[in-house]
Amino acid sequence: MPASMMQLSLDGVTGLTGVRAGAQRRWQNTGWPDQRAEQWRFTRLSGLQKMDLRFAESAAITAENQEFSAAMPDNAAFLSFSNGVFDQASLDNLPKGVKASLLDGDEATLLALSKLVPQSHPISDLSLAAMTSGIHLEISGAVEIPIVLAFTGDDNSLSAHPVVSININDGASVVITEWHRSNVGLSAPLMAIEVGKKARLDYAKVQQDSAASTHLAATGLKLGDGSIFDGFQISVGGKLARLETHITLAGENADCTLSAIYLGRSSQHHDITTNMNHLKGHCLSNQVIRGVLDDKARGVFQGKVHVAPDAQKTDGQQMSRVLLLSRKAEADAKPELEIYADDVLCAHGATIGELDETQLFYLASRGIDGQTARAMLISAFLDDAIDSIKNDELSAMLRPITTAWMTAVDLNNAGEL
Amino acid sequence: MAHLLEIKDLHASVGDTPILKGIDLIINTGEIHAIMGPNGSGKSTMSYVLAGRDGYEVTGGDILMNGKSLLEMEADERARAGMFLAFQYPVELPGVGGMSFLRAAVNARRIDAGEKEVDQLEFVKMVRAKAKHLNINDDMLKRAVNVGFSGGEKKRYEILQMALLEPTLSVLDETDSGLDVDALKVVSEGVNLLRDPQRSMLVITHYQRLLNHIVPDYVHILANGKIRRSGGKELALEVEESGYAGINDAA
Repeated sequence: MPASMMQLSLDGVTGLTGVRAGAQRRWQNTGWPDQRAEQWRFTRLSGLQKMDLRFAESAAITAENQEFSAAMPDNAAFLSFSNGVFDQASLDNLPKGVKASLLDGDEATLLALSKLVPQSHPISDLSLAAMTSGIHLEISGAVEIPIVLAFTGDDNSLSAHPVVSININDGASVVITEWHRSNVGLSAPLMAIEVGKKARLDYAKVQQDSAASTHLAATGLKLGDGSIFDGFQISVGGKLARLETHITLAGENADCTLSAIYLGRSSQHHDITTNMNHLKGHCLSNQVIRGVLDDKARGVFQGKVHVAPDAQKTDGQQMSRVLLLSRKAEADAKPELEIYADDVLCAHGATIGELDETQLFYLASRGIDGQTARAMLISAFLDDAIDSIKNDELSAMLRPITTAWMTAVDLNNAGEL
Repeated sequence: MAHLLEIKDLHASVGDTPILKGIDLIINTGEIHAIMGPNGSGKSTMSYVLAGRDGYEVTGGDILMNGKSLLEMEADERARAGMFLAFQYPVELPGVGGMSFLRAAVNARRIDAGEKEVDQLEFVKMVRAKAKHLNINDDMLKRAVNVGFSGGEKKRYEILQMALLEPTLSVLDETDSGLDVDALKVVSEGVNLLRDPQRSMLVITHYQRLLNHIVPDYVHILANGKIRRSGGKELALEVEESGYAGINDAA
C-alpha cells in the first residue's frame, strides 16, 4: 500500500538533510507494511489509516514522577518527554556519569543510531524522519542513580516520535527504565543502545499507554565483548502495541536476557517481536515470555534467534507461554531458529493454555475464593518471567503493575464469555 | 439438634453417567466413619460431591451440614464452613509458595468467621509446631505447594493443612494409597492427633489396613453407587477376609 493512502504522511515535512532525509525517502517509498509482509502478518496496522494524526511539536505537560510506580526509588533521575517532546528542564538533574545532548543536527550520532535500530523497519524510518525530539545519553563509570525515561502525553490527535540513543562506555553500568504512560494517537519511540565491552545495562520497558493509544516501538541494541544486558518488557496499555527489539551480540561472552510480559483484556492487541542476532561465539541469550489474555484480547510473540557461522558455543534459549482466560482470547507464537554454527545449544518452545481446573478446585477446597485463587495462579505463572530480572529495584517497580492488572480485571468471569 | 452431616438419598452423575444412586448417611459430631468399597463403587465421586467439585452433578437428594444444604454452596464456601477434603492425589501448584498458600487458606476461614487475620510471625510459629509432628521440615514448607514432594510427603502435607484449618468434617480420600508402612504410620498418627469430640471424619479407603491405624466408629460398604452394608469396625475385618464379592447381593 503506498504511503499516500495513509493519513500520517511525511510529505509535509521539509528541510530534512543527511540521515533523516534518507529515512524520509525510504519511508515515502515503502510506507506502512502491507498485508503480505510476513513480519506484520499477525499485527495489522490498517487502523492507523483511519486516524487523523499530526506530529507533535511542543511539550504540553510535564510528567509527575510519583504517578509511575509506588515502588519507584526516591532518587531516580527523570528524563521526561511529553507528547513526544523532550522537556529540557529535566537536564538539570542528571546523575553523575551521565551526559546528555540533543540529537537534532548531530549528524554523526544520528548516523550511528540509524545503524543500530531495526533495519528496513517502518518505525525506524518514520520516527527518525519525524523525530519530535531526540536525545543522546553518554554513560561512563558505575552510575548509582537509576534513570527513568518518562513518556507522557495528553492529546490523542498527536503522533509522538521520541528518539533516544544511549552509549554505555566500556566497563560502565547503569539502570534505565523506559516508562510510557501516554494518551496520544500514536506513540512510536525509537531507541538505539550500544553496550560497550564489559559494560552492564539493567533495563525495563513499561508500556502503560492509554486505552485509545497505539504504541509501535522499535529498539536496537548492540552488545560488546563480555557485556551484560538484563532487559525486561511489560506491555499492559494501548489498544494496539508492538514492542519490537533487535539485539546484535557483536562481541564474545556477552550475556543477554530479554524477557517480557503482556497482559491484555477487552480487545487489546499486544505484540512482542524480538530478533536475537548472535554474531560472535560464547554468548548467552535467554528470553522468557509470558502472556495473559482475557476477553477478546490478542497476543503475538515473534522471536527469531539467528546464529552466525562464527558464533560457536552460543547458548540461545527462548520460551513463550500464554494463558487464555477467555474462549474469545487468541494468541499466536512464532519462534524461529536460524542456526549456521555447528556447536551451539539452542532451544525454543511455545505453549498456550488455560488455568488448570484441578488447581483451582484444590485452592477452593482450602476455602480460597475464586478471584484470589485465579490471581494466585496467574501470579505464579508471571513470576517465572519477573524472577528473571536480576535488579531488585526494577522487579519491585514492576510487580505492582501485574497486581493492579489482576485486581482490575474481574477474574471470576474469566472463561465465561 | 441437626446432625453434623446428613446425606439423604443422594444421586450424582459425572457427565451422563450416574455414579451415586441413592446414598443415605448420617455423621454426628465426634464420630469417625469409614467408607470402603471396590474400585468404581463411587468412593472418590462421593468425596468430590461433598467438597463441591465442578462437573460432579447432584441429580437428586440433599447433603445437609448442621441442617443447612450444601448444594447451593461453592467449594470454597463449603471449605470455609468447616469441610475439608484430603486429596487422593494432592495437586501441585508450581510457583505458589507453600507458606503463602497455607496462610491464604487459614485467613480465608478467619475472615469468614469475623476473626483477625493471622500475622506472619505468629503463623510461622503455628505451622512449625504442627509440621513437627508430621516430620515436615522447613525446606519442605518453603517449596511451592506439593512441587517435588514424594507421595508420602504430599499426604503428610494434606494432614498439615487439615491440622491448620481445624475442619469440623474431614473427608480423607484414599489417604493410604501409595504409602509404605512407615509413611502410613506417620500419616495415621497425624490424623489421630486431630481426633476430637468436636470433629468428625469420613475416611474413604479401598483397604482395611488404614483402619488398623485410624480406627473408625462405623464402617459402610459402598458398591455400585449405594451403601450396601453398615456396621462397626469389625465389618472392615470381614471384608478383609471375604472380599467385596457378594456385597451387591447383600443389600
